[in-house]
Amino acid sequence: MIGFLLFSITRAWQGFWRNAAMSLAATATMTLMLMLLAGFWIIQAGLLASIQFVEERVEVVADLVDGTTTAQVSGITFRLREMPEVRDVVYVSKEEALARYREQREAQGEEDLTPYLDSNPLPASLEVSLRRANDYAAVTEALTLEPQVEKVKNIADTAERLVTLTNVLSTAGVALLLVIGAIVLFIVINTIRLAVLGRAEEIEVMRLVGASDAFIRWPFVFEGAMVGLAGAVITLAVLLAAADPLSRFLFQFFEILPIHVGSISRDVTLLVVGAGSGLGVLGAWVSVRTYLIR
Amino acid sequence: MTLTRPTPRRLLPWRNGHEPASDGALDGHDTRRAVLVLNDVTKTYPNGRDALKDVDLVVPEGDFVFLVGASGAGKSTLMKLLIRDELATRGTVTLDGDALARLPRRKVPHVRRKVGIVFQDFKLLPKKTVRENVAFALEVTGTPRRKIRPAVDRVLALVGLTGQADQYPHQLSGGEQQRTAIARALVHDPRIVIADEPTGNLDPLISWEILQLLLRINELGVTVLMATHDADVVTALRRRGVALEDGHVIRDEVGGGYHRAG
Repeated sequence: MIGFLLFSITRAWQGFWRNAAMSLAATATMTLMLMLLAGFWIIQAGLLASIQFVEERVEVVADLVDGTTTAQVSGITFRLREMPEVRDVVYVSKEEALARYREQREAQGEEDLTPYLDSNPLPASLEVSLRRANDYAAVTEALTLEPQVEKVKNIADTAERLVTLTNVLSTAGVALLLVIGAIVLFIVINTIRLAVLGRAEEIEVMRLVGASDAFIRWPFVFEGAMVGLAGAVITLAVLLAAADPLSRFLFQFFEILPIHVGSISRDVTLLVVGAGSGLGVLGAWVSVRTYLIR
Repeated sequence: MTLTRPTPRRLLPWRNGHEPASDGALDGHDTRRAVLVLNDVTKTYPNGRDALKDVDLVVPEGDFVFLVGASGAGKSTLMKLLIRDELATRGTVTLDGDALARLPRRKVPHVRRKVGIVFQDFKLLPKKTVRENVAFALEVTGTPRRKIRPAVDRVLALVGLTGQADQYPHQLSGGEQQRTAIARALVHDPRIVIADEPTGNLDPLISWEILQLLLRINELGVTVLMATHDADVVTALRRRGVALEDGHVIRDEVGGGYHRAG
């Protein structure tokens, strides 16, 4: 068994270098395809993070009747926080509302009109942020049932539009990733098939002198794995070199986006190494099959 | 039969003690074991063409048989049946006691190791030396490394290529390339050597040398089946000739002259 493994690996190594041009072409193709795959994976991860970020900005705002006590506010807040759909509840008092209004006027360069008012006309409110934009209806309903709530701002239109948009984006992202995955699969398998085809003579001789299927197949499978791993290593090296400037750019661009670089790089490493060796092995296996005993 | 019967001797002693399981007896008065038996074999290709039709052929151990016939007569199909590259549509092909049609897939390589094959176009690997080409046949069949070197040296000496062992095929003459291929066919210590037009690409003098080599190998006890369309050779050597025409055996006799049909 060890002798067989040693034989297969030695032959895979020799095979790789004896047909260096073909092997390097296959490795280059593999590298490009893995980069494509990794690139789209990163874009997809960024897209999902952006969608999540935007969804978390969706708030249901409820105005409270004047004279609502702190205890009542705490009660409503507590009940809302119990709901799984709710991410956070922020209480905005009448004074805060006025302060915000003033800031807003000032920022717009308008005159501050509040000194002309006898009393503060702005209601206190609760800003309920959601985990998913789609949950707005349930939260709106719960708020409506609270007696201290005067009215709930209707965000149905905005929320529906956002939900549609995020659904389209994430579905399209997954579909695109699948399409690219399929293209990568075909290109890599065909490249390895060409490399195996270049060795048809050798396989023919092996068959004729009575080599068993395992002795014919495994050297090529190992060679396919070598091509895949070489491609994966090159891809990861390039990504690593590009990661620093790229992430700096991304941080500037999406300053606020909560992308977890750590988990993305782990996922991408697994994806690239897994896809590389998997595709290499699969490609070789499928290509050699043609030549085995019928 | 007028053949002198050589004592079966193994070229490579470590494979001693291998006996065929059955189908040992031949019909008639010849009591030698049969290496190869074709019984009423018909091969029809998917396009409906009969490449072989009702072929009966018995090759006893130690025999030297010429298989003659024009191209398309069925020689290549017959060769393919012997290494189980194709299966007979009807009838049985038995090689060294194994009925090839009933052989499980995983046993096919073992049967092929009992057959040494020599082709018109040599089928040597250009990036391997003579020694590596011959050793390749043992390496890919899982022969332990320490046994490969002496076996390769022995067959290279037998075909007279000891001095060229480290040269590449492109550095060799056609005759030397074919001798390398013969060495590779012998290195497994086969029960039968099948040569498909082995002299087809060689000039007459070199062809004669290759033929002499095959005859010497036959004298050492290896059964040889050689396909050729060279009528002179078959006539001159007075060996058994089996003539194929349109898939039929039209003649099977010792020393009979062969004339191309049409």
